[in-house]
Amino acid sequence: METQTPALGSQIDQLRIEALSAIAEASDAAALKEARVRYLGKAGSLSLLSERMRTLSKEERPVMGKLLNDLRTAVTASLDEKESALAAQANAAALSAIDTSLPGTGPEAGSLHPLTLLVDRAVQIFRRLGFAIADGPDIETEWHCFDALNTPADHPARNEQDTFYLPDGRLLRTHTSSIQIRTMVANPPPIRIIAPGAAYRRDEVDATHLAQFTQMEGLYVAPSVSLADLKGTIEFFFLELFGPGTEIRFRPHFFPFTEPSYEIDLRTEALGNTWMELAGCGMVDPAVFEEVNKKRGDSIYDPEKVSGFAFGFGLDRLAMNLTGVSDIRMLTGNDLRFLSRFTA
Amino acid sequence: MKISLSWLRDYLRTDKPAAEIARILTDAGLEVGAIESSGVAIPKVVVAQVLESIQHPNADRLSVCKVDDGSGTPRQIVCGAKNYNVGDKVPLAQPGAVMPGDFKIKVGKLRGVESEGMMCSSKELGLGEGADGLLILPSEAVIGTPLSELFPAEEVFEIEITPNRPDWLGHLGVAREAAAFGCGQLICKTPELPSTKEAASVAAIAAPGAASFYSIRRIDGVKVGPSPEWLRKRLESVGLRSINNIVDVTNFVMFETAQPLHAFDAGKIEGALTVRFAYEGEAFVSLDGKEHKLTANDPVIADAKKVQAIAGITGGVESGVSEATTSILLESALFEPTVIRRSSRALGISTDSSYRFERGVDARGALAASARAAALIVELAGGTPSAELVFAGLLPATRVVALRCDRVRSLLGIDLDDSAITSLLAKLGLKKITSEAALGFEIPSWRNDLTREVDLIEEVARLHGINAITATCAGIPAHSSEADKAYDFVRGLRRRLSGGGFHEARSGTLTGSRNQAAFAMGASDGSSSVIVVRNPMGEEHSTLRPSLIPGLLEAVSHNLRHGTDSIRLFEIGKVYQQEQPEESMRLGLVMTGRAAPEHWRNKEAGGDERSLDLFDLKGFIQLLSTRLEPVTFRSTTHASLPHLPLALDILIAGKPIGILGLLSPAATRELVVGGHQGQIVVAELDLHALQHANCIGFSKDPKQHGSLPKFPVVRRDLALLMDATIPYAAVELAVLGAKEELFSSVIPFDVFSDPEGVKVPLGKKSLAIALTFLHPDRTLTTEEVNEAVTRIVAQLRESAGAEIRG
Repeated sequence: METQTPALGSQIDQLRIEALSAIAEASDAAALKEARVRYLGKAGSLSLLSERMRTLSKEERPVMGKLLNDLRTAVTASLDEKESALAAQANAAALSAIDTSLPGTGPEAGSLHPLTLLVDRAVQIFRRLGFAIADGPDIETEWHCFDALNTPADHPARNEQDTFYLPDGRLLRTHTSSIQIRTMVANPPPIRIIAPGAAYRRDEVDATHLAQFTQMEGLYVAPSVSLADLKGTIEFFFLELFGPGTEIRFRPHFFPFTEPSYEIDLRTEALGNTWMELAGCGMVDPAVFEEVNKKRGDSIYDPEKVSGFAFGFGLDRLAMNLTGVSDIRMLTGNDLRFLSRFTA
Repeated sequence: MKISLSWLRDYLRTDKPAAEIARILTDAGLEVGAIESSGVAIPKVVVAQVLESIQHPNADRLSVCKVDDGSGTPRQIVCGAKNYNVGDKVPLAQPGAVMPGDFKIKVGKLRGVESEGMMCSSKELGLGEGADGLLILPSEAVIGTPLSELFPAEEVFEIEITPNRPDWLGHLGVAREAAAFGCGQLICKTPELPSTKEAASVAAIAAPGAASFYSIRRIDGVKVGPSPEWLRKRLESVGLRSINNIVDVTNFVMFETAQPLHAFDAGKIEGALTVRFAYEGEAFVSLDGKEHKLTANDPVIADAKKVQAIAGITGGVESGVSEATTSILLESALFEPTVIRRSSRALGISTDSSYRFERGVDARGALAASARAAALIVELAGGTPSAELVFAGLLPATRVVALRCDRVRSLLGIDLDDSAITSLLAKLGLKKITSEAALGFEIPSWRNDLTREVDLIEEVARLHGINAITATCAGIPAHSSEADKAYDFVRGLRRRLSGGGFHEARSGTLTGSRNQAAFAMGASDGSSSVIVVRNPMGEEHSTLRPSLIPGLLEAVSHNLRHGTDSIRLFEIGKVYQQEQPEESMRLGLVMTGRAAPEHWRNKEAGGDERSLDLFDLKGFIQLLSTRLEPVTFRSTTHASLPHLPLALDILIAGKPIGILGLLSPAATRELVVGGHQGQIVVAELDLHALQHANCIGFSKDPKQHGSLPKFPVVRRDLALLMDATIPYAAVELAVLGAKEELFSSVIPFDVFSDPEGVKVPLGKKSLAIALTFLHPDRTLTTEEVNEAVTRIVAQLRESAGAEIRG
């Protein structure tokens, strides 16, 4: 009995060396699995050694038990380690065939027109200020486009040289301001609208002029609207559009349908840091309200009870500047090399 | 309008530099667009005489000169120019002079020879390009004179004058405004007014609609000749040409006071000068020698015999002032703006005079302008003015406009007390009239634009300055409108389209008439429905587009010619037709070329190198509606759409909302580009109908969304052999016609025919379909699916003539 312990002890040592080297030599998952069964399986070497524990003395058992346990732990750890190494190796082998530096092959992207993107930015800003959208027809009556906007009957803008007319005497609106009139004729105050849309003037088409252009109109009419409100609204809009650091200048001007009237100049990084004339605005002229009342047949737009401001700006030149094109015709040229730069 | 700064300074005492004056004027509403400088303002540039000129010892192209610059000792100057002779007088920049471009003149050596300054060309002095070489000065120029005396510095503002302010069309008016805005002090010389009388034998108004006041002053014994230097300079500075002393004075006074004047040669006038309308067809030769046929709308000044001038627009060649003139009749009048504008436009004559009368001149300025001109004529041309000025008509009375200061405060959103408002307006010459009822202001006669309270409020706003107004930004929010809903729909649609690989196009709505009608959707006879413009800018822009397709095809053509091999474009915009609705929003789509961009997997995947075709667009359009209101198609031919021989109506809820078609090869060649391979597929849809179908949103039966099938579907594939002419739609109809309860869906997954007749007999096609079956509450048994398939196959045989392929 005395000799049993050292014999078992050396067998354990022997087995450790054998098992660890077998694990190290296993070159694939199958070989490793076989090693696992051979050493740790029900009929494996460790189990066989364990069975001999029964033959040991009471004193020897804990000693041998600990040695066996240590062996099991070591073999298990080695198996696990080898297993993940082999798995990693197999993964690497399977994935190494994929050249991830090849370009992706997703669907082709389309684009939105820069004017659309600009109009949308403007719309979203005015919506934050509680403006709704209004629209109106491109084909307008002279009344909506001129008379109602306090434009004298012999005003040069009404010329055949400047304005497109249809055979029936109607015209293509020369500004989106006609939408102000349509909105007020159809709705009582308060009115808080913006109106993006096309307008037309008989300009010779060249690098800076189109006969058709895109405008955005705005109108706010309610009790006691003031010039201070106009200033605040315009400043909010342009600061939001171009960011802080944008300088806004109001220059007194003349429009038949607003009084006082201003032109708005802007200086900002995005527009090359030079003053650029962008918009016109002013307080709605009482004569406009009177015309609207006449059409409505009431006096709900009594200039003593309501006041309002209006503004309008052209978007084409702004789009030109923001997109860096030097010829405005690029905006209607529909050249895919240009359009595809503006991913939505 | 040109405003000369030195001229302006005749009426404005100011020490402010040009740029500062420009800024103040701009803030006041006179937008100074540009400041043009002319003349020489460089110190230490003087008149010098070349005393000798010898060859430079070290440089072939240079010479060494001795010049006298009046300093007592001749200077040695090295010079490269060749255009002068010894004895010529030239500009010399002395050491210390700073030339344009910040180039400082110093004593220095040029190729080893000392040079004590620079002789200058006109370009080097900033006097324009001129000829090459030195500027040769007149021989009478005095040596040592600063060049700024020979070429006085002149700064001219280019000002945009708004149509409401004709008083700014004279230097005096601009000076008044500048002074009111704190730019300096107004120097106002009021001329001594002559006594006046009415005498119809001299001046008469027969057409009160054309003139409210007409005056004539006779000046005898004048000597017509050239104007003095100062007057010529003044006129040239604002872009006028000097003519003679009389005409120049009338122009000078016009550019001073904004009151146009006219001088007749008294010797050519018989009887009274009368304002009347021309007789129909009356002939007249204007000052520029052109003959005009007048109408009864043209206001004229006529004597006993004939028309001598078109009132306020232009004088006549016969009674114009010439060198032979010795007596003149000086006209100063108040013509009706609308009459002048109408006549000026009808005759196509626009003059400095008509420009001012059209906008309205100082209501009471005619007398002062006449007196000012008479005094200048006497000074420059001699002569004796008549003691009395003869007039007809009336000068308008002074206007008073009431103003409520509360109104000023509320409309401008400022807190300014009554006296501050009054003193602001006083700066513009508005005199406060105190009355019990309300505050009133007497309006200066040159401010025709101030007639209403709001006009005065605007003046307060201008003078107070918008910069001094504290911005506020509040308002009553508006509920979203129908237009908001449409905008939101279109916004989402645009993003779906761009996500689907479409690029957004924008084309003009004014297009040529050619081929427009050929795409007009829904009109029986397209051409009659197109709206034309009466005064187009050429045929290419003469109609309002009835369809988006021609514009998109133009874009396709452009891009194909630039080598694009895959095109997907959409446009959302208005189209126009004579029927109601006259304007409607449409979505236009076009695609052609490669189905997918070239990439390294094309070959591997096999099919991606194909070209886009009808089914690509058809499939995309199906995505544009909802499950609840699906898009369907119906084969169609429209006689009115000759370019789309193969076309489908696009339907929602059975109603046509658009058309999808294949451009005919002939139209491809003609409209797009010759030699283009592959289909060009186009579509146009009514946006309103599409929006309506998308608006439906959630189902009325929420369970349709809310419950998911608990059991898997069972799929059965069938290979059918059938006549090649039978459309797939017949197969689908037959499958649905079987009305199998468990049936869930049918998908065609292969269509094949063999032109050789080997794999499939000639005239036949093979169609493979996948059927799916589903029961909501249980798993299906093989038997019940088999039975259903058997019944469907029978139905297919019966109504579509399809056999199961062996």
